[in-house]
Amino acid sequence: MIIAILLFSLTELIGRFHPVLVHLPIGMLVLAAIFQLILPKQKNSSLVPAIHITLFGGMLSAIFSAISGYLLSTTDDYDASLISTHQWFGIAVAVISIGAYILNKQQNKYTKWVILLMTILVIITGHLGGSITHGSDYLTKVFSSDEIVSSNTQRKPIANVQEAVAYTEIIQPILNSKCYNCHGVNKQKGKLRLDLPDLIMKGGKDGVIIMAGKADESELIKRILLTKDNKDHMPPIEKPQLSKQEIELLHWWISTGADFTQKVKSIPQSEKIKSVLLALQSGEIIEVIKQSDIPDQAIEKADDNAIQKLKARGISVSAVSQNSNYLSINFIAVDAISEKDLNLLEPLRKQIIWLKLGNTKLSDRQMEMISSLTALTRLSLERTAITDKGIIALQKLTSLQYINLVGTKITAKGLAQLKVLNKLEKIFLYQTSITGTDWDELKKIFPKAMIDSGGYTMPLLEGDTSEVKPPTIIKK
Amino acid sequence: MSDHHKEPFKFNTPELDQIKKKWDRRNFLTKTSLGIGAVALGSLIGKNLLGKAAGTLAAEGSAASLEEEILRAIPHFAPKAKRVVYLFMSGGPSQIETFDYKPKLVDMFGQALPDSVRQGQRLTSMSSNQSILPIVPSIYKFNQHGQSQTWISEMLPHTAEVVDDLCIIKSIHSEAINHDPAITFFQTGNQLPGRASIGSWVSYGLGSDNKNLPSFIVLVSKNASKDQPLYSRLWGNGFLPTEHQGVQFRSGKDPVLFLDNPEGYDGADRKEMLDYLSKLSTLQNDAYGDPEVEARIAQYEMAFRMQTSIPEVISTADETDEVFDLYGPDSRDPGSYASNCILARKLLEKDVKFVQLYHQGWDHHGGLPQGMAKQCKDTDQPTAAFIKDLKRRGLLEDTLVIWGGEFGRTVYSQGKLKLDDYGRDHHPRCFTMWMAGAGVKPGISYGETDDFSYNVVKDPVHVHDFHATLLHLLGVDHERLTYKFQGRRFRLTDVEGKVVKEILS
Repeated sequence: MIIAILLFSLTELIGRFHPVLVHLPIGMLVLAAIFQLILPKQKNSSLVPAIHITLFGGMLSAIFSAISGYLLSTTDDYDASLISTHQWFGIAVAVISIGAYILNKQQNKYTKWVILLMTILVIITGHLGGSITHGSDYLTKVFSSDEIVSSNTQRKPIANVQEAVAYTEIIQPILNSKCYNCHGVNKQKGKLRLDLPDLIMKGGKDGVIIMAGKADESELIKRILLTKDNKDHMPPIEKPQLSKQEIELLHWWISTGADFTQKVKSIPQSEKIKSVLLALQSGEIIEVIKQSDIPDQAIEKADDNAIQKLKARGISVSAVSQNSNYLSINFIAVDAISEKDLNLLEPLRKQIIWLKLGNTKLSDRQMEMISSLTALTRLSLERTAITDKGIIALQKLTSLQYINLVGTKITAKGLAQLKVLNKLEKIFLYQTSITGTDWDELKKIFPKAMIDSGGYTMPLLEGDTSEVKPPTIIKK
Repeated sequence: MSDHHKEPFKFNTPELDQIKKKWDRRNFLTKTSLGIGAVALGSLIGKNLLGKAAGTLAAEGSAASLEEEILRAIPHFAPKAKRVVYLFMSGGPSQIETFDYKPKLVDMFGQALPDSVRQGQRLTSMSSNQSILPIVPSIYKFNQHGQSQTWISEMLPHTAEVVDDLCIIKSIHSEAINHDPAITFFQTGNQLPGRASIGSWVSYGLGSDNKNLPSFIVLVSKNASKDQPLYSRLWGNGFLPTEHQGVQFRSGKDPVLFLDNPEGYDGADRKEMLDYLSKLSTLQNDAYGDPEVEARIAQYEMAFRMQTSIPEVISTADETDEVFDLYGPDSRDPGSYASNCILARKLLEKDVKFVQLYHQGWDHHGGLPQGMAKQCKDTDQPTAAFIKDLKRRGLLEDTLVIWGGEFGRTVYSQGKLKLDDYGRDHHPRCFTMWMAGAGVKPGISYGETDDFSYNVVKDPVHVHDFHATLLHLLGVDHERLTYKFQGRRFRLTDVEGKVVKEILS
């Protein structure tokens, strides 16, 4: 059993050497041809043994290439017709190179013609092989103007998206740009083709990929949504990825029944998808998804040493998500924060985006030390000793979206100093020194933010009861 | 303080040597079978030999490092919730008298439940021998509340005030029809005892942000009729390392006992004693490699840190009268549900990962109108206050609040149906839960039941789905948080569960 698996892996391994091996016969056999070409000149007669050696090497590598190529074709999924021509040409090269070698050894006068034929075959075989790997339009693509289409979905604006046929004008272009390379006419990885409706619904070697009406259970969507470290993630991590909007569109199309003929207007649309669809009209895709408090741009990995130092002090450090180098830091278990502790944050200032200093003995003096953490999007300072003087330091934290000042001595005047932080979305101010008319003032200063005063007054609705009444008996 | 502890720790005493020499049966088998197991494992993973570098292979050779690998990958995606509080209404609150408004039942008072609705589904033996299963509508009125215009029973006037913060799931369904399996199912993902509870999975997977407090704490209300028992295995760690089990606080004035050191014995003494003990335990651990020893060291040190952290967190001195008024009259009575809600809030403020409250007394087989009145009175105001209080402290942003029981109750009356009195039997086919806070859509109702609140007709949510969604909100892929035990990888959701994406914000 194990031996069988090993053997299978071994054939696959040898097969995968094919793309490397093929370069050897191409180089050596062509070199032999060149030597043969310049041989007639008298001064080059010393090349005779060289031809012999290059032909021998070329022959051996051609044989190995043919074998490995055959093994590769049994394990990977390529277009059968492209493979078969390439395969026969490859075998022909191997056979003829053997012939050329033997003829050359016998000093046969036809050797040069055989070498000429061999060279032509090598070129054809090489081209066919390249077409399998890079796509048959690889060479001609340089001359066509719409080259951009296949690498990035920069679609032409749709005049009226509601009148457009959902599949042909919205879904197909996405599949074309992100999937056809491996699941199209030329290659059918996993025996899957996505370029024709029938074939899309047929699925691949693992079964159907689209369950009409059930997007979340459809393999197509599942694979796309897998995390990037998963080997089943699609498209493969090194290939161009789908944008959020493209995923939304695919999801919408499948969950509404994956119909190939309907127009957009006759398919149900949620508010969210409506805005994505509308964006297709203008040609540019507008970011409709709510602003995230994790920045989009990648950041280099945090210094592990600095993280360990924080952890040693009982400060909790965690990644905000897998594959993200952004950090969330929590000081909840540190009783007395010292300048030294806060200094530990400095080397991580690019990575720290969430910082919790609430319920600690943080003081105004120490606030200056967090002003350099400009990547912060969430900051918790609840029930600390900070005052209006301290929060001036926060003016530099321009990415801040969430701030919690519950139970501090902050006044409206102090908070107004943070007016420059125009990304603030949520401000928590329960149990602060803000009173009365201050609230209206603050609303004007932070028009975009949700300001939570904590003093909830619920409007009494008709039928609201605030005490439990004795049960009313329902009579028949 | 005496100085005798300053003496260096002697490792080579005859007594300690004994430990090293001791090879009892269990120890022998563990060690030798591990050796054989390692060989077997080596052949099993031979398949991957070609694909992987030798270095990584060696690292994966031992089971422990595989578990580490799993933990290192967490969070799998950005978590919406950093903490969870689960208000468990033990006994099975009736959905019909609380959230699942069924106006058509009023005209069917006393009629037999149609067979087409029941479809031969099993009943408990408490009502299966009844000659008639008479339909009984809610004795309480329903009103619409909030922007969301949600129908809520008049028994929950305070909850009605926060309804726009709730995500009400009306289509939860379970498999178990009796209390023990049903509550075990909800708490551990399996009807049979022995699996790890939700809180311990969370503690295991996400660790703790505050090393001074346990990451999983359990509070049980004292002011409830204990009609159905609770048992510590509901918050047990099952096969997970012992330090992840829920720590139950006592319901009363002193939630944790023996926080003070004995007279003439101070913290430094205690620390020295524990350090000494820890060295001994480490020695034992080196000899046996038993994870329980590590758990014991960890728990002793946790207890030591709790001596200082607990008094602060249980003190209500800082709480204003306004807070007590908000939570209602019971809130000044330690151990009551209201008081536990305040304590839970304080624990969440301290970043305890998972707080679980239990409130018993919802098992109304008879006398439901009076019973529900009492239960609602005890819990409605504190629950609503809890939501408001978390919200204004900015905690609802990243805290997930869950309310619900182990099953719902039948539309028909158990026992004799009177105009003003009836009972309801267990009903696992549909019932209502709600979630609020981090990552769930506020002010929505999800899922629908039929006119009898008997079967789910739209968007069913199974217990496994609920677990999957809970873990998802914490940034954990429920399919990837596993733990190997007795030769099998276990998950909270076993081999099922799908995230209810529709309720995620």
